[in-house]
Amino acid sequence: MSKVIAAVDSSAAMRPVLAMGRAVAVALGASLEVLHVVEDENEEVPAVAQATDAPMRTLSGEPIEVLSSVAAEEDVLAVVLGARDSSSGPHPAGHLAMILAGQTTKPLVVVPPGSHPPEQLHTALVAMKGTPGKARVLRRSIEISARAGLEIVVVHVQDEDSIPSFSDQVQHETEAYAQEFFARHLIGAPQMRLELRIGVPAVEVLRAIESTQAELVAVGWPQTDDPNRGAVAREILDRSPIPILLMAAT
Amino acid sequence: MSSAAPEAVTRAADSLRALGRVGALVGVIAPLTVDELSTRLAWPTTGAADLLLADRYGSEAAVIDETGFHHLTSSTRTLEDVGDVGDVAIGTLEELWRRGVDSREVLLLIDGLSGLTHRSASVLGADVTTLQFNAGRESTPAGVVSVTGGSARLRQVLADQLRRRRRRSLPEVVARSGWSIVVKGFDVEHERVNEALLALANGYVGTSGATLAPNPSQHPWVLATGVYDEDGADTHLLTGPRVFELDGLDTGAGAGAGILQRVLDLRTGVLCELAEGEGGDVVSVRFASLAQPTTSVLRVRCPTGLRVGPALRPPADDSVHDQGRSGTALWIRVAASTGGIAAAATQRRTRGRGRGLVGTSTLDRVAVYASNSDTLPDPATTVDALDRAGSTGFDQLLGQHRRAWARRWEDADIVVEGDDELQLAIRFALFHLMASASDAGEAAVGARGLTGTGYSGHVFWDADVFVLPFLAATHPASARAMLEYRLRRLPAAMNAARAAGRSGARFPWESARTGDDVTPTSARDRSGRIIPILTGQLEEHIVADVSWAACCYVDWSGDDEFALGPGRRILVETARYWASRIHLEPDDSAHINGVIGPDEYHERVDDNAYTNVMARWNLRRAAEADGIDGVDGDEQRHWLELADALVDGYDPDTGIYEQFAGFGRLEPLIIEEVAPRRPIAADLLLGAERVAGAQVIKQADVLLLHHLVPDEVVPGSLEPNLRFYEPRTAHGSSLSPATHASLLARARDFDKALEALRLAARMDLDDLTGSTAGGLHLATMGGLWQALAFGFAGLRPRAGMLHVDPVLPPSWSSLELRVRFRGSKVHLRVEHSYLSIHADRSTAVVVGGTPFSAGPGPLELRRQGPHWEPVT
Repeated sequence: MSKVIAAVDSSAAMRPVLAMGRAVAVALGASLEVLHVVEDENEEVPAVAQATDAPMRTLSGEPIEVLSSVAAEEDVLAVVLGARDSSSGPHPAGHLAMILAGQTTKPLVVVPPGSHPPEQLHTALVAMKGTPGKARVLRRSIEISARAGLEIVVVHVQDEDSIPSFSDQVQHETEAYAQEFFARHLIGAPQMRLELRIGVPAVEVLRAIESTQAELVAVGWPQTDDPNRGAVAREILDRSPIPILLMAAT
Repeated sequence: MSSAAPEAVTRAADSLRALGRVGALVGVIAPLTVDELSTRLAWPTTGAADLLLADRYGSEAAVIDETGFHHLTSSTRTLEDVGDVGDVAIGTLEELWRRGVDSREVLLLIDGLSGLTHRSASVLGADVTTLQFNAGRESTPAGVVSVTGGSARLRQVLADQLRRRRRRSLPEVVARSGWSIVVKGFDVEHERVNEALLALANGYVGTSGATLAPNPSQHPWVLATGVYDEDGADTHLLTGPRVFELDGLDTGAGAGAGILQRVLDLRTGVLCELAEGEGGDVVSVRFASLAQPTTSVLRVRCPTGLRVGPALRPPADDSVHDQGRSGTALWIRVAASTGGIAAAATQRRTRGRGRGLVGTSTLDRVAVYASNSDTLPDPATTVDALDRAGSTGFDQLLGQHRRAWARRWEDADIVVEGDDELQLAIRFALFHLMASASDAGEAAVGARGLTGTGYSGHVFWDADVFVLPFLAATHPASARAMLEYRLRRLPAAMNAARAAGRSGARFPWESARTGDDVTPTSARDRSGRIIPILTGQLEEHIVADVSWAACCYVDWSGDDEFALGPGRRILVETARYWASRIHLEPDDSAHINGVIGPDEYHERVDDNAYTNVMARWNLRRAAEADGIDGVDGDEQRHWLELADALVDGYDPDTGIYEQFAGFGRLEPLIIEEVAPRRPIAADLLLGAERVAGAQVIKQADVLLLHHLVPDEVVPGSLEPNLRFYEPRTAHGSSLSPATHASLLARARDFDKALEALRLAARMDLDDLTGSTAGGLHLATMGGLWQALAFGFAGLRPRAGMLHVDPVLPPSWSSLELRVRFRGSKVHLRVEHSYLSIHADRSTAVVVGGTPFSAGPGPLELRRQGPHWEPVT
């Protein structure tokens, strides 16, 4: 059976990581396995993790290497891990996740420490900025969300330059625009809803999280060497109140 | 065929008749009167294609078609004009062009020693394949093939033509400059747009221009006019069975191979497709017959091994009610909540024989549709009609179809010299406008016509104000059918008025089958918010718009029967509505409060200038009508009093109409200065709330009055209002650019006018709205025609006279328009200092304020300062 890995440590995110790992596993019809990576052999397994009814694996080593190796295992569907509760310093929020996202093509779910994942997921927000062509990189997020039976809302954030020139009768245009958007850029993708936002991408995505009451937000993570990569994803990682699904965009 | 010897015609008569029977259009030029020629050829008036006859001296010409023998007058040249037989041949080619036959499809056989001169041969050019028999020792002109063997060889050539016809060769679709929409390759992202651009319709049935090869990126559909499913806001056009598809083709969507090219010939409404199939090329032509609007036809030449699949397939969106087989025909029915669409189709495939055809086969597929908005059509009737269409045959059907399109173009074409790209875009618009409205019964012309499923096929003011004028001025029968649609829903409109506590008729903002309002009352906007939709409740100007459309039709057509009968009912009931809608203040001023004008950024406003002035026009026009049953003089006087009391927001000090009460107090935001570009959807840029509180407007509102009812606004008020409102207009409606092009032309601001005109012209060709995949923006296309006719040519029907006041941009050398005015066919050619008006009967025109009589024959005028004077 395929499994979802919930990677725990002793940080504040451990409880929500376990909760989200359980919810993701249920949604994907997979089993949950708790992974604890110890850098120091004397480090103890957190009590909360020990108390979970899911099987647990403890591995020692450099966390990023261990996680990367586990993520590559054939039966691993996704990895859920926590973000540190700090947006500054050498290890800002989601630092580990972003490195891992650069090394694996498996979905990574990054759980903010203060989040409260539900037992069952309902709505996933798929964030997209810029030209519609980039919608393709989010296809996997959409497919995974669809497989999990979630309602999918794609938030397409445009800037002033890409605002549509015309908008006639909103009662007909919205649906037509969305249909055509999906037909062009995500042919054959599952049913979903499109929301168009104008403004600063991260800000608009965060607003959409609030208005849609989504429990998961999916963002693309470019696997390039560009040090400025993923600026929007970083900001969302830093500020999102809900777990973030990081998908490698090659 | 041209012959110097009458006997040659007699000898060739059998071969020519045989060619006619298989659908070839034949022309014969000989030294005989056309009556003598007709006798010698004994041409049947049924079961054969048209025959053109011309005396080889150019003195007379005639045609025999399914309606009998007709002398041609307009196409013949006088004896003095004719230098040689080539001139007569050129005249015959012109007549063929009028019948939808391109000169590149013509084989000219010249039998006789007098032959062609080098001069006329050069005029015929490389387009026409010319064979000259019995040329003797005379030198053969360049481009002409001299054939030895005399009359026997001529008959061999005719026999070869007959064989080619019987082999069912594919007609050539020529990509001609200004007439052809060419789509190369296959673009997955753009394909649904191409489906709309290349849609084939005939006012009755519309079919997407999808490739014959199915592909997941496509969404092919067939629509039948006025056949809706479901009720209320969910009402939408039903989709019917599909016929233009083959199984064994691959679009090569991933590899970019497969579909090589599609060419839509706007002149004849034929779509040609060239694809690369396994084992060889697949070439096809298809059309939705304009002559027999229920009939769709496909001919394909393909490798013998290609799997073509069934002749008819179920729709993608709607489920099959029932289906069956009758002989070789398949039939399918799709049912709506009431009514439905039935289709029957048959196909025949034959192996190719002869040079170049071995290993190929030709597939002929014919489908007949029947649709009804109230009852489900009987499939047996459809199968019977299919039998008749099948026995007519591909070539005859094609010939009829081409001729029907050629006739439509003869009354509607517009030629702009000096801008080739614009020229093609104009014809593209005219083609789809003509294709979207039937000319019998009623025509429900939805916002996207028959070119897509967008807007659910709902009928808006787009039809009345933007599409109908073009049809009123070029094909009045279609405009009449559009009004019939409104007339049959007049009882529903009267019920709606009563339900709202009003009198008269309240036409709905969105209309479908029943005439009840089908506007959704809420919708999700693009940012995902659920918002109330108030247009159905408040956009009441539709009432006057319908009335304006009825009068527009009357003014162009001179249809007194309609004007005095059903048209008057529309005029009266709409006037009654306004009379009951207007409220009087203690100071006796009249007002209309709580409406939405064409600028939909501002909702629930009072005294919207457009609504009030259109209502005023409506009341006055109704008050002018004489002898209306059930309307007494008191009621008409009351209408006039209300009209005179209705405020219109005009400020004589500034010359500006206030768009609605309080518009001047809104945030003075000039969108031209703050937007990164225009057109732009300002409600998306700034947010709906900000826009509602600012002087930012979506489209022409006050300015639309100067376009539609210029006699209802203060003379000279166009320029100040244009200066005030244009910079404040976001042009976020696809209707806006064409209207502004028209008005900017009237104001002689040519640079801006052309910019707006090109924007309107390219709206769908460049998918500027991002929504062309849902269908073409017919109202924009109608607006484009209006910009050219009303704006640049300055055409207006007034009091039984056609007013003409042309203005030509410096970059154009000429503008030609063809219209029908009160039964007269009128052809105008505008140059910078010259104007010619050809009318086929005496027609009263007013040019630049001076009355003239045009026709029969040309009226030529030259501009002298501000005036036009006859050319002497």
